[in-house]
Amino acid sequence: MSMLTFRLELRRSRLVAFWLAVIVLAYGGTIAAMYPILKENSKLLEDYMEILPKELLAAFGMSGTLTDPGVFFSTYIGSFLWPVIAAMGAIVLATRPVAADVDRGWAEVVLGTPLTRTRSLVAAILGQAVVLGALALAAPAGVLAGGAIVGAGFDTVRLLATSVVFWLFACAIAGCTSFVGVVTLSRGTAAGLAAGVLLVMYLMNIVAELQADLAWLGDLGWFRYLAVTELIDAGVLPWASVAVFGVVAVAGWSASLVVFRRRDLLA
Amino acid sequence: MATAIELRGLTRWYGKRRGVMDLDVTVQEGEVFGFLGPNGAGKTTTIRMLLGLIRPSAGSATIWGLDAWHDAPAVHRRLAHLGSDPGYLGEMSASRLLDHLGALRGLPAGAWRSLAERLDLDPGVAVRKLSRGNRQKVGVVQAFMGSEPLLVMDEPSTGLDPLMQREFLALVAEARAAGRTIFLSSHNLTEVERACDRVAIIREGRLVKVATVQALVGDHTRSINLLLDRPAPDGTFALDGLTVLSSTGQDVHLMVRGDVNPLLRRLAGLEVRDIAISTPDVEDLFFRYYDGSVAGSDGRVASEAAGASVEAAR
Repeated sequence: MSMLTFRLELRRSRLVAFWLAVIVLAYGGTIAAMYPILKENSKLLEDYMEILPKELLAAFGMSGTLTDPGVFFSTYIGSFLWPVIAAMGAIVLATRPVAADVDRGWAEVVLGTPLTRTRSLVAAILGQAVVLGALALAAPAGVLAGGAIVGAGFDTVRLLATSVVFWLFACAIAGCTSFVGVVTLSRGTAAGLAAGVLLVMYLMNIVAELQADLAWLGDLGWFRYLAVTELIDAGVLPWASVAVFGVVAVAGWSASLVVFRRRDLLA
Repeated sequence: MATAIELRGLTRWYGKRRGVMDLDVTVQEGEVFGFLGPNGAGKTTTIRMLLGLIRPSAGSATIWGLDAWHDAPAVHRRLAHLGSDPGYLGEMSASRLLDHLGALRGLPAGAWRSLAERLDLDPGVAVRKLSRGNRQKVGVVQAFMGSEPLLVMDEPSTGLDPLMQREFLALVAEARAAGRTIFLSSHNLTEVERACDRVAIIREGRLVKVATVQALVGDHTRSINLLLDRPAPDGTFALDGLTVLSSTGQDVHLMVRGDVNPLLRRLAGLEVRDIAISTPDVEDLFFRYYDGSVAGSDGRVASEAAGASVEAAR
């Protein structure tokens, strides 16, 4: 790994990281500030939720009452904010070091030095992992900060532990996107394909919740594994999620490295 | 003298599209070698294969005996590269960029400073705010700031003003004096003529000529303008290799290819009021090769006695 390249990757990522972190912190903080209001009006809220089909609520992560911290966090952050932020961050970061840099000519500049392709891409991958890790920490941090201000009483350790699952989910997206980017050498194609596949998996998860006989569809996508309700409510780390996302991330990045070493670099 | 670069039957196809075909070139250590051709001729493809960025479809490219593709990292420790229109990161200042690229090559911070001053480059400005010419200066500084024994440059002086082009040529001369080898792709004919020991002309992916600049210029057409006291007798200019381009009787414009002595003997018998003889520059030659008047229809290379390292294509 090249520390120079790693530092440069972090430097190049700071704007993306900053603005995504601002969004995550602001949204998390604002939502958390509403939590005591939801709790105080739990009866009214539950009456309202009764009107809506349970499957529809489940499809968007609301399996239980919103006054439950785990359901609350899963609904607003785990099922909505984080998939969007993770996808944006991972796709932008993972398509840059090869697909975008070959296209702009930067890859030719740095790979014309003694820097090897492997060291270059490993540094970029570590940069992605660090930035995505910071964003994954920011997601519960915003909720914790907002919750602390209004006295929501969230469990700090359990909420922060969700970062592990969030981080690995984002890494899985980055790993696969990186691989597509190395194969196609086209940032547009890689980004479009990654976003498209994620959207399809998201819809598959919704359909699986709405339609009992199509429940198997949910198992094919990643969003079923992006479940942190139990972690927050019972303190149980979802090892299956950790394993699935971890394996996909490592496999994607490893495949990227293998292909990149042998790839013609033609914009 | 060791061989710095050796291309053997180097071929690259992009699907069915031609890249370069059957390039055979040997560049000796300490030589400044020009690679001349218009856009799309295959110069950049060749350089990308030299850098190990793309793989040859056939043949081989070796640098200091190392395979350019398989041993790319080892090769890169011994060369500095300047691409055509390098894709620098616009948000970085020139100084930070040069420090970064220098560090990747094991150079200390600020190794670029004297060159930047020499080329009048403001290093504090973000690269995206630099003009085309100033960005090219960054590239020239980047290429010359180390001491690698081989410099591979793809159209290095594009965008430089005449003063900076002169400075660039001075840098090339200094590098040559220091024993460095330079592989210089260009379509700037004057630059090649001034900077290079030998030149390869590439046309539509094939090598059509490899020769020393002197050989190229020396063995070719001379332009001769004569002003005579009285019109020359009929048949005076009926010589092999001589063409009368225009004549008003006393004012005659000739083109001579090859030996000029037969013409001079004829002129000795005339009353010549004035004579001007000019040798063609590389530009004239270049266009001549691009007219197809020298290379055969199959585009095979015309190799001149310009040193043992000149290789004819098979």
